[in-house]
Amino acid sequence: MSNTLRPYLNAVRSTLTAALCLENFASQIVEKHNVPEVEAGNTKEVLLNPLVVSRNENEQVLIESSINSVRVSIRIKQADDIERILAHKFTRFLMMRAENFVILRRVPIKGYDISFLITNFHTEQMYKHKLVDFIIEFMEEVDKEISEMKLSLNARARIVAETYLSQFV
Amino acid sequence: MILLEPNSFVLEETLLARFASEKPEVVDITLVDFDNVIYHVQTSAEQRTLLTLSVEMKYFSQVVGFGAEDILRREYGDFLVPPATSQYQIALQFNLEQLPEDKAGLAKHVSMLKRNVLASPFLRAFEYWESQQEGAGPLMATNYRDDEAIYVQAQQDRVTVIFSTLFKEEVDRVLGKVFLQEFVDARRQATIQNAPQVFYSSREPPLEIRHLPGLKQDESVGYVSFVLFPRHFANAEVREKTISQIQLFRDYLHYHIKCAKAYMHSRMRGRVQDFLKVINRAKPDRSVAVADKKTATGRYFRPNFRQPVAAAAASQAEGGEW
Amino acid sequence: MSRLPPVVIDNGTGYTKMGFAGNTDPQFVIPTAIGLPNQSRYGIASKRGIEDLDFHIGDEAMINSKTYGVKYPIRHGQIDNWDYMERYWEQSIFKYMRCEPEDHYFLLTEPPLNAPENREQMAEIFFESFNVQGLYIAVQAVLALAASWTAKNSQQTLTGTVIDSGDGVTHVIPVAEGYVLGSSIKHIPIAGRDITAFVQQLMREHGEVNIPPEDSHEIARRIKEQYSYTCHDMASEFQKFDADPVKYFKSMDAVNSVNQQTYKVDVGYERFLAPEVFFNPELVSSDFLTPLPEVVDNCIQVSPIDTRRGLYSNIVLSGGSTMFKDFGKRLQRDIKRIVDGRIKKSEDLSGGRLQAKPIDVNVVAHKKQRHAVWFGGSIMACTDQFYQFSHTKAEYEEHGPSICRHNRVFESLA
Repeated sequence: MSNTLRPYLNAVRSTLTAALCLENFASQIVEKHNVPEVEAGNTKEVLLNPLVVSRNENEQVLIESSINSVRVSIRIKQADDIERILAHKFTRFLMMRAENFVILRRVPIKGYDISFLITNFHTEQMYKHKLVDFIIEFMEEVDKEISEMKLSLNARARIVAETYLSQFV
Repeated sequence: MILLEPNSFVLEETLLARFASEKPEVVDITLVDFDNVIYHVQTSAEQRTLLTLSVEMKYFSQVVGFGAEDILRREYGDFLVPPATSQYQIALQFNLEQLPEDKAGLAKHVSMLKRNVLASPFLRAFEYWESQQEGAGPLMATNYRDDEAIYVQAQQDRVTVIFSTLFKEEVDRVLGKVFLQEFVDARRQATIQNAPQVFYSSREPPLEIRHLPGLKQDESVGYVSFVLFPRHFANAEVREKTISQIQLFRDYLHYHIKCAKAYMHSRMRGRVQDFLKVINRAKPDRSVAVADKKTATGRYFRPNFRQPVAAAAASQAEGGEW
Repeated sequence: MSRLPPVVIDNGTGYTKMGFAGNTDPQFVIPTAIGLPNQSRYGIASKRGIEDLDFHIGDEAMINSKTYGVKYPIRHGQIDNWDYMERYWEQSIFKYMRCEPEDHYFLLTEPPLNAPENREQMAEIFFESFNVQGLYIAVQAVLALAASWTAKNSQQTLTGTVIDSGDGVTHVIPVAEGYVLGSSIKHIPIAGRDITAFVQQLMREHGEVNIPPEDSHEIARRIKEQYSYTCHDMASEFQKFDADPVKYFKSMDAVNSVNQQTYKVDVGYERFLAPEVFFNPELVSSDFLTPLPEVVDNCIQVSPIDTRRGLYSNIVLSGGSTMFKDFGKRLQRDIKRIVDGRIKKSEDLSGGRLQAKPIDVNVVAHKKQRHAVWFGGSIMACTDQFYQFSHTKAEYEEHGPSICRHNRVFESLA
């Protein structure tokens, strides 16, 4: 792991752990409703200042917290066309299966590639530190997976080209 | 399956089934091959033993100019009949009672029909090279798909084949670029030094065809040129093989782009499973909580899910009952 | 611009039927099996990157089963392994059908009660991997109904009861106006495989010593397919056979697969006993004892009351195990008997004051029964409505895979 990745992930981990301090909070606008305040955004006093952890301009994490919910949005590194398409395909594939991932948002926040929404109900039913672990592991793995896919794509293309051209020899 | 076959498997199977069947049945079958070729296999209304294969090939009028009809006459002369309607360009008729001994061989040979027709511009170019004329030969264009074409031109010492390829989608375009780049680079390998040279350019048409009107010039179009040297077509056997291969270039490329996407899908599926395992670790182990535990009075005890397991165990120790 | 014919693929548990729309028979009927290289063939060192292209499908998978492990991507009608299925389709399209998927519309089939998520996954594969122009996912039972429209006594509606009997299991599926009545579906654990086994057992019992053990299954299958018919009544059929054995007992020529010698097999009672299994399940089964006509009647009786007349009047057969001669006639008679009996009873109970309108029971048999689902798909894909109702690539790009959760039903053969 490169030396800038470790501090970046550490920063995300501690920020996220601190942000996951959630409690049940009924909506003040609509009676008998309980909505994630960070999504509703119409009760200013329960929203905290959003926070960006940034490794460089291509890799950022936006953490928006509120009294009963936290929204984490990740921008994945995309160096070229292929990585852009792979990242897009991969995040789309995951978001298609969002219901299995409980905390995954079906649509990312604008400007980011993938978003998670953690509410107080999630933290009550699941271990907080493991949720943080999941997000950190996700960030690590996504980068790894994309570069691996890119490598295997290139390897594949090479074999395909060689097989075709060796027909002529 | 890495390489595609030059013949049409479905046509071969269909014809063979007809040839081999003992009693002639009335059939009316439509089949399709790559690049908008439609085959129509039909028994004649009057005589059941007559089987007609009509072929619809949009670019046939173009390849006629390159001697496709001669090839047809040479390869399928005995069976060739004029097509029944203007919809079809080629028609072959078989009398099921007078078939040659080798039915499988005939079916295979007929299933190469598309390949043989499309071979005409290549053969014409190779003949031009053989004639040792000065300067470049005529540029032969075949619009084998609606927006895509093959250009073949013979030079004194080589034959250039240019494909214009169109990618309908952004993802395909990017993947296609990766593949094409490897085609260009592949010749560096020692083992395939003798393969034809490949050039690739997106948007800019190569010099040979730049003068042609109506060429599309945007991101979605790519031009791939193969430079065939005499060693690829001097020998008759190698020549046939070269033609079979080079024709299928577009289909080969698109097939592998699709396979690459399928491969990526299967990787992503695996990765989703891994991620699910990680997130499920965050869920407390419910099997402990769900197990029925009776208290001394015979009532059931159900710990609260909201408590982590350790806390639940603690409250259990206190003997809480509700 | 003339369109290329759509591609119709019906992936069943046992066999996949595929072909171009407009044809009367599928071009290929191959086992839904995929042969994957055994693990040992690729060490970690030899990882080249395209191992996933080294596989066979269909009959070739069976032939190569020594070096390739055979896997079945579909279980109980539902796709079980999407990785295998995607590769299966890949080779079906490029090698077998030999078409460029970008140029075609596709019609796929799904079993009744399929989860919408599975449709989304299908859409994801076909639109993203294969870039198809358009996709329509049809329910197999509905296609079987459409296939019956070519029969003489058909009413051309999408209301009816489908009896689908393949190799593994038999379903009775009521369909009302193109929608499957999921809660009323009945299953019968008796199908082609059990009948073959039953014939095999009969042959053994009446002492056909000529049949070599390794061929006995194949012989039983041939007897079932070529000599069987449905009788009116089992007891009188036995009498008929005993009275005039020369006329009814047949003799079949067979070739020993090992030493290539020909021998004769006598075919007797199994001619009518084979299909009888459906009407008297106690012949083969000890725990499932409800005859098929009764199952069909039960199935319709638990369906909504306003659909029942329609369901009785259009009972459609589909699948290879319904191909027995006069199977439809016997079924119709037996169901009619049950229905008439019930009406008579209620009339008697009312003391003759109520007179019920007789219920029309109609079993539709047709020539294309064996591949009815595929044939129905082939018909549907030829209509103009198919293009209207299919989901196009543009719609997919706009809305995502969820559009394929719902597929509008066809109203008629326009």
